[in-house]
Amino acid sequence: MMDKQCDLLLDYFNGHLTNQQKAAFESHLKDCPSCQEELKELEELTMDLPYASEPIAVPDGMKQRILSNVKDDSQIENKATFDQTDSEPGPKPPIKPKRTWFKPFMVAALTLSLVGNGAALYYINEQKDDADTGESFSVDSMKEAYTLQASEDIEAAATAMMIEQNRETNLIIQANNLPELKGDEKYQVWVLEEGKPFRAGTFVTNQDGKGGVSYTLHDMKERNYDTIAITKEPNANSQQPQGDILLSSPL
Amino acid sequence: MREQDIELFHRVQNKDEVALELLYDRYEKLLFSFSFRMTNNKFLAEEAVQDVFTKLWSKSLPYSEEKGKFSSWLLTITRNACLDLLRKKKSNDYELKERDALQEDNDPSPEETAEWKEQHEEIQHAIKELKTEQQEIINLFYFRGFTQSQIAKKCNLPLGTVKGRVRLSLQHLNKILTKKKERGIRE
Repeated sequence: MMDKQCDLLLDYFNGHLTNQQKAAFESHLKDCPSCQEELKELEELTMDLPYASEPIAVPDGMKQRILSNVKDDSQIENKATFDQTDSEPGPKPPIKPKRTWFKPFMVAALTLSLVGNGAALYYINEQKDDADTGESFSVDSMKEAYTLQASEDIEAAATAMMIEQNRETNLIIQANNLPELKGDEKYQVWVLEEGKPFRAGTFVTNQDGKGGVSYTLHDMKERNYDTIAITKEPNANSQQPQGDILLSSPL
Repeated sequence: MREQDIELFHRVQNKDEVALELLYDRYEKLLFSFSFRMTNNKFLAEEAVQDVFTKLWSKSLPYSEEKGKFSSWLLTITRNACLDLLRKKKSNDYELKERDALQEDNDPSPEETAEWKEQHEEIQHAIKELKTEQQEIINLFYFRGFTQSQIAKKCNLPLGTVKGRVRLSLQHLNKILTKKKERGIRE
């Protein structure tokens, strides 16, 4: 009799399971010889496939860029949130599921509060994110506004607004009272779908601890983002949050 | 003498810059080409290679020889880095259309080893012997990293049959490869 869990093997192999699903599958895997065997078979049968790739020329300067970025990266003390298993071969989902930075219970405890007065929208100059598309800015309608709650020991405050513009959703973040950044550090906005973080804008603060960013959420309609959060990151390139959540709100 | 991968790996883990560069040179092209095959975008491919070397350099990684060949392990990390990037870029509505930009490769590096070249030809030929549907399913599953339900939709298959089809296609490919190897030995 096939367990329903056995059907998740492919999505496990490709790292598509949520943290919860992944944990459940791994516990199933321990007791299911047929899944163990199939997984091993998948690993073996796909082992040579990378070599099917056409050799292509690497971009100019790639070596220099990568090696200097790699070495730079090590100068920043990474927070001890690294999950040791994330790079093991085999079906380890690249989204690091064991990260502890995101604490659902904390966010769940927060209350959503609407900013009713269409708080003055203004563009913050420190905007840094390349992906932002904020050159021409015309407000169409404010869909939602949220007040982010600060985590324990954090004094900061922030609001998030979703603005419908040209049929896309613009996320506008404005924050006050944030701790000063050092070196390359940046504040990073994330939107989360079932615990999976997606980058949603990067910003720095001015000398008064104020900062903000506008970010286009192209896929707002297909996605089901449930949380917004701000972390402090060692630089503008974090693909996964490395710092703790400073501010957050359910969406 | 060419230093073993495993030695270089341990030196890189101990922050040896010379070893980092040696290992980088050895695998740059393979990892980049594979990442490009996965992401179909040279910026993402570069980002993936950078992610891999950042991990090798700044994190303590659990590779040991019992886990099989270092190159296979490294390629698995690379594939995961690509899948990770693809998932994230999807959230930015990243259109991954760059086949046209595929560059002619006029500069085979010395480290584009005989191993790669030989394996490349073998696998390419073997893949071409598969039925189109089987080629497609391997492509969607392995290189595109689709979910089971995405594959079902794309191939117009009932969800419950996807896993079997993937297995069958891979097994079939493997059979062709094994046969080719046996023939190769006889000839």
